[in-house]
Amino acid sequence: MNRKNKIVLFLLGLFIVASLYVYFGIYYHSYIDIEKVSAEVEISSGELTSFFILNEKSANSIYRGKVIEVEGIVKEVTFLNNRNTVLLQGDTKYSSVICDMRSNQIEEIKKLKQGQKIKIKGVCKGFLKDAILLNCMLINKKSNE
Amino acid sequence: MNKIIGIIFLLMNFTDFDVKSDQFITRQGQVSFFSYTSVENIEAKNNQVLSIIDFSKNEIAVSMLMNAFVFKKSLMHEHFNESYIESDLYPKATFEGSILDFDPLATETQTKIIKGELTIHGITKEIEIKTTIENNNGTYLLNGDFELIVKDFDIKIPPILAPNIAKIISVKFRFEYQPYEK
Repeated sequence: MNRKNKIVLFLLGLFIVASLYVYFGIYYHSYIDIEKVSAEVEISSGELTSFFILNEKSANSIYRGKVIEVEGIVKEVTFLNNRNTVLLQGDTKYSSVICDMRSNQIEEIKKLKQGQKIKIKGVCKGFLKDAILLNCMLINKKSNE
Repeated sequence: MNKIIGIIFLLMNFTDFDVKSDQFITRQGQVSFFSYTSVENIEAKNNQVLSIIDFSKNEIAVSMLMNAFVFKKSLMHEHFNESYIESDLYPKATFEGSILDFDPLATETQTKIIKGELTIHGITKEIEIKTTIENNNGTYLLNGDFELIVKDFDIKIPPILAPNIAKIISVKFRFEYQPYEK
């Protein structure tokens, strides 16, 4: 009797651990960890916007959903709606690359100046009037001094 | 061929140069939606919504990338994009409409109705949205919320997940417009 109880308890415990594992492992499976993934494509912000403007469909097939590394000149840094956003200059002044930065990048972003050349890694989501990158982080920061 | 397209684009840019004086733009508008059920609450935000208002005609246009909605759990993001919205086939949601009897010069906050056509998942619906409009020294803030019926947009939810997703989704928006620079 005692032994049977032990087995039942053990199985119950195992079941709970397994379900917790499944719940947290699969259900809470996080978004791409950008720090661990290397970029599939490297491109300048000007080239990226001009490519999207010329042929959005083919640009989407190359960049959409991919981790890309974009080099460009800081156009603007905004903190609108509690987001930390860096805009990189596009090929014309009508277009830019909008980079929604990860929250751990805030201190670095505050130091950025307009006109500075930087490199950003992020997930390309597509194009509206600007190319949109989410989950971004600064890499290999260079200053213009 | 590509050169010709480039030239056409250049021409288009130049030709609407003069019209742009009454245009206001936001590239970082916020749209969020909520689904409340007894099983779970789902919330997603898109902070890169594009919108342009033309005050000479009181017209408004909105465009957003469906895959730029951020969820708390990546599985929700995956279901949303792959099964419900099918963002590979229908990458954008758009709205085109007009703000009814709006006075761009008024400085006090106004509450107006925007009437127009909303396209999600390739399906277009006529809707009316109530919005507040604040004029802060030449920049405009539009704020509001409305509800959408999931079924209206031919979004199929498998029976097993039906209890997790509300039949009616509430949507909120917040757009801060700047003058469109020429």
